[in-house]
Formats: sequence, C-alpha cells, structure tokens
Amino acid sequence: MNSVGESCTDLKRDYDQCFNRWFAEKFLKGDRSEDPCTETFRKYQRCVQKAIKEKDIPVDGVEFMGPNKDKPES
Amino acid sequence: MKIWTSEHIFHHPWETVTKAAMQKYPNPMNPSVIGVDVLDRGVDKQGRLHSKRLLSTEWGLPSIVKSIIGNSRTYTYVQEHSVVDPKEKTFELQSTNITFTNMVSVDEKLTYKPHPQDPEKTILTQEAIISVKGVSLSSYLEGVMASSISSNAGKGREAMEWVIRRLNAEIEELAATARGTIRTPMAAAVTEK
Repeated sequence: MNSVGESCTDLKRDYDQCFNRWFAEKFLKGDRSEDPCTETFRKYQRCVQKAIKEKDIPVDGVEFMGPNKDKPES
Repeated sequence: MKIWTSEHIFHHPWETVTKAAMQKYPNPMNPSVIGVDVLDRGVDKQGRLHSKRLLSTEWGLPSIVKSIIGNSRTYTYVQEHSVVDPKEKTFELQSTNITFTNMVSVDEKLTYKPHPQDPEKTILTQEAIISVKGVSLSSYLEGVMASSISSNAGKGREAMEWVIRRLNAEIEELAATARGTIRTPMAAAVTEK
C-alpha cells in the first residue's frame, strides 16, 4: 500500500510492520510494555506531513463531524 | 440526507477481525483505495488506542478526463478516527470525506464487537450518513450513493475475509517453519538417549 507521499512509502512500510507486530502481540493481549515504534513513526510522520502540505490536503484536527456540524468548504 | 445502516456477523473472534481491519488495505475488493497513512496514534489513559488516518481514493476516471482536470484532482481524501479498546473488546471507526465537501458529505461509522452469544464470532454494525448539497436531485443521488455504499460494504466484508485468510496463512507458514526448526534438535536429543 502506498503513502500519500510517494517518497514516504518505504518509511510507511517500516512503520506498518512494526505497528502490526506490536498491535497483535502486545497491545491486543493487554501487554502495556512500551511502544517500540516511536522512532520509525517519527521519521514516517515527518515525511507524510510534508507531503500533505505540498499537496494541500485539507486534513484537520477536529473530531468526527456529526450530521449537525458544518463542514468547511473544500 | 440519507441514513444507511447494516449489521454483519463474521465467523471469527474479535481479535482476528480487529487485526484484519487494521490491515484492511490493500485488498483486491477495494482497488480504489490507493493510499493509507497514519497521521497520529496514541494510547489514552484508559488504555485505548486512538488512530487518525488519511485514506486516498481514486475514482478511476477515464484517462482523458484526468488529462483535462489534472491527476491530483481525481483523488478523494477521507479522514478516519478509530479507537480500539482491548479490555471492552470494541473497535470503532469514524470517517468523513475532507475533499469535495462542498458537494457531498459521507460520514461513516463502523463498530466491531464480539457476538454477545458466541465469543468466536464478531458483529459489525455499520452506518453511513450521506448528504448531497445544493442539487435539486439530491434525494435521488443520495439514494444512488446509499446503494453504492451498500454494495461497497459487501465488498468491504469480502475484503475482511480475504485479509483474515492471508493472516492465517502467514501464521500457518510461521508455525510450519518453527516446527521444522524445532524438529531437528528434538530428533537429535531423542537419538542421543
């Protein structure tokens, strides 16, 4: 699966592998040990945030928009 | 505005379905999802995992249309927020389109929970709220989109079964490899006695 930023795909793959392993083997089993993926996530994030800005994708930090909330015009 | 809801039972335990749902893309049933990115992720004080993701989807417009309106304009972006509660065994996802919001609004919510009578099964409840804006045929178009969502939901469930089969096959392979590597020293230990 690709990333929105083409150059970020390898970093995404590294992070996804780390996350999927931690998620299945630790998190879902109630193991509260530390997340081993923070470094790979940081590298991946730097790349993705840059790609989002470059492509002008209107990501927002607001929670799920219910039916009564107004959406900003795209 | 159109509201569409559905309920589906997977014959797999909640952990299996949740792992599969996290890795749902890519899969052959949803070829229009061409990119998935995690924007943020963290565990809250109650031990629940929150994830914010961006999904890039491609409508599959004919190339002549793309050459006129430009490649990036044919992508639709969807933002998704999900919460996994490993204690309560719930996986809840909410998503909304963040492009073409002046034309259409599709808000979806999915919840995966263990079946109350059978822990080997999982119930998925799904809901979509669709609004087409400023067009006189809006209720007709909303109906069209609802049936499209319904048929895509069917594909989505097939996609989940596909991902579950793939994950089980990987586990089988790992187990077979492990058995192979254990067998040799064990056989050696037995013959030594």
